[in-house]
Amino acid sequence: MATLTSRLKFAGISGRLMTTRQKRENFYGYLFLTPWLLGFFGLFIGPGLGSLYFSFTEYDVLSPPEWIGLDNYIKMFTNDPLLWTSLGRTFYYAGLGVPLGVFGSMFLAILLNAKLRGLATYRTLFFMPSLVPIVASVVLWKWLLHDNFGIINQTLVGLGWNDPPGWFGDRRWAIPSLILMGLWQGVGGTRMIIFLAGLQGIPETLYEAASIDGATAFHKLRHVTLPLLTPTIFFNMVLGIISGLQVFTAAFVATDGGPGFATTFYSLHLYRHAFDFWNMGYASALAWFFAIVIISLTIGQLRLSRRWVFYYGS
Amino acid sequence: MTNRISRRSFLQGSLAASVGLLAACAAPAAPQAPSADEGAGAEPAMETINLRWDTFRGIGSGWNEERIDTFREMHSNVTIELRPLAGAGQQDNYAKMYAAQAAGDLGEIIAFDPSHYHFWRAINKNIIMPLDDLVATDGTDLGEWFEHFMSLQYYQGKLYGIPSWGWAGFDTLVTNAVHLEEEGIDLPDPVGHDVSTDTITEWAYKFYSEGERFGLNISHNEATVVVLCRLFNSSLINEEGTKCLLLDDPNATEAMRWAYRLGVEEQILPAPGDIDNANGALTAGLLTMNWCGSLCVRNFKNSIEDESIAKAWQILFPTRKDGRFPSQLRGGTWNIRLGSEHADIAYQFLLHIGGHDGSLSFNLVGGNFAMVRPDVAQSLVEEDPIHEWFIPSLENGIPAHAPANSRGREYTSAVQQWTDLLLDPNQPVAFEKGLQDLHDNIQAILDMEPA
Repeated sequence: MATLTSRLKFAGISGRLMTTRQKRENFYGYLFLTPWLLGFFGLFIGPGLGSLYFSFTEYDVLSPPEWIGLDNYIKMFTNDPLLWTSLGRTFYYAGLGVPLGVFGSMFLAILLNAKLRGLATYRTLFFMPSLVPIVASVVLWKWLLHDNFGIINQTLVGLGWNDPPGWFGDRRWAIPSLILMGLWQGVGGTRMIIFLAGLQGIPETLYEAASIDGATAFHKLRHVTLPLLTPTIFFNMVLGIISGLQVFTAAFVATDGGPGFATTFYSLHLYRHAFDFWNMGYASALAWFFAIVIISLTIGQLRLSRRWVFYYGS
Repeated sequence: MTNRISRRSFLQGSLAASVGLLAACAAPAAPQAPSADEGAGAEPAMETINLRWDTFRGIGSGWNEERIDTFREMHSNVTIELRPLAGAGQQDNYAKMYAAQAAGDLGEIIAFDPSHYHFWRAINKNIIMPLDDLVATDGTDLGEWFEHFMSLQYYQGKLYGIPSWGWAGFDTLVTNAVHLEEEGIDLPDPVGHDVSTDTITEWAYKFYSEGERFGLNISHNEATVVVLCRLFNSSLINEEGTKCLLLDDPNATEAMRWAYRLGVEEQILPAPGDIDNANGALTAGLLTMNWCGSLCVRNFKNSIEDESIAKAWQILFPTRKDGRFPSQLRGGTWNIRLGSEHADIAYQFLLHIGGHDGSLSFNLVGGNFAMVRPDVAQSLVEEDPIHEWFIPSLENGIPAHAPANSRGREYTSAVQQWTDLLLDPNQPVAFEKGLQDLHDNIQAILDMEPA
């Protein structure tokens, strides 16, 4: 027993010996956690639970909420022509934009991980678009992609494409236009930096061993780099899909959901009900349904990750 | 020597700095009224009155500050705190005002414009107060404002506001005269209403040059679609705001068919989203006629840098069979929040910003379209004769019709999006189907429960 006590004391676990210090540690720990805890409970959990309650009410912010049970959810699934179409557009955006973005960033990171002269300059140049404010980016791309006067269509016509896309003005091309804009801004951004960090975390010894075994550059990429990057790919995919499904700002600024609802994504649909039409109760129901969709997808990704994500040394 | 700071010291220092920062960010204490001792022997102290002005109108132009300063010259015991609303768009600012009201923090001087369909909702939600008693006490002559803009301020027999901005809506083709002159076309009388729809059609073709210039731009917002229907002797919804007329009135159907022919069949109009900044396109010589409001001509004129590329002109639509001009009289308001403590002073401030000087500078300094008073119209004409062009439309215009159920935001959104679908040249729908969808979706909004 005495041996155990002394060992606990040695390990700093004993309550009586370390009480004062531990209390002080705890005090400071909680003290410094307080701002985050206040934010988490006051600005996230609290409003989240509030919105769950409002989703069962009719509420326009200015009058007291009126309990209507499941009516908002019933209306959502039976009498909202924009629910499934907006959800479909959102999945289209995320389904096309996220893989292109993630693999674009990875490809760029692999290139920028090579030992080249002026590497820092290249990295800076590729990173710069991510610093451009979204509104400025929209203005730029609306000019670039202008149907008649844009430099991209004028170039395409010059190359012989006589009927180039209408981009933002064309319902078929409005979402690809937003994806294109998002790729320009996102491929060289934070995601690329995370990939670079992931690449630099791969032990050099593995490449040396592969070289000794006669592996080519492609073999090294296929059998060393990619497997060891899978945690980074997975991380970026999870975050990318979550943020891709929440696409809002670009569509709000660039097209305001048009033309003809072509870019009315789920978040924009929700926003309209909340802050334009003041159906806050209904918007809360939309938000909770969407939260369930996103959480389900994330859980699905986590489960699937066991099949393809490889953690070195695990 | 190396002075190493321990982790704990660092954290304690950070905590102290954070507390200091938070304290610095805290709201300053309200100025205290002078104590009895301070006031002893001096003149009786006047009560200090604090008002808050929540607005997005005129912000950044200096107009608001000038109005506050000149008001304080007359009322030294009044402070007015300007709280600019700076949302991404006008509608965002209304959202902020609703939120402020819900939080009990809405200012005393506010504006819920009828033209943005918030006026009636705000009254129904007990946000703005009736002004009738204040008008009677002050003896205000309401005839100082144009009657049609004053009429917008009434709801269920009570007056709720003083006109702020007002114009005849999208009643004009803002025209680049350079293009007409290049074709040897005599410029039409800018107030003549003598250019027929056939001539407008002809010019839409004539000035269109693929990939280089559009002859005519018609946006698909509610402001345009209403006047388009009115140009063809109809309207979009009935006066009561309960019924969509697109399928029931052949004239309204014909209006949409005309736009469909030009936009979808002939593809000589910009597709939805093609032109975001029509004024910029006019100025750059990329567009000849833009369907907008007569007051847009003033902005176009002011933005022209090279008169060899663009020169401002206007073409007013032809007079309707009933003798009225195709237009949609739209206007804004200045209101007082219901329950304001010093409503009498707030009302004086309303008169200060909505009176002759306030309204004039609202145009000239604030950059708004505010032809709401005859005396301002005269002053504006003296300032620039181009303002003469706008007056006839105001005198013979047609008022806006609002949805009876106060679902204005849903209504304008439905009109914009479903007109986009009807007039989309890239993925054309049959005219009958597109029109039916547009009609049905507008009617569905008009049939909703009141907001």
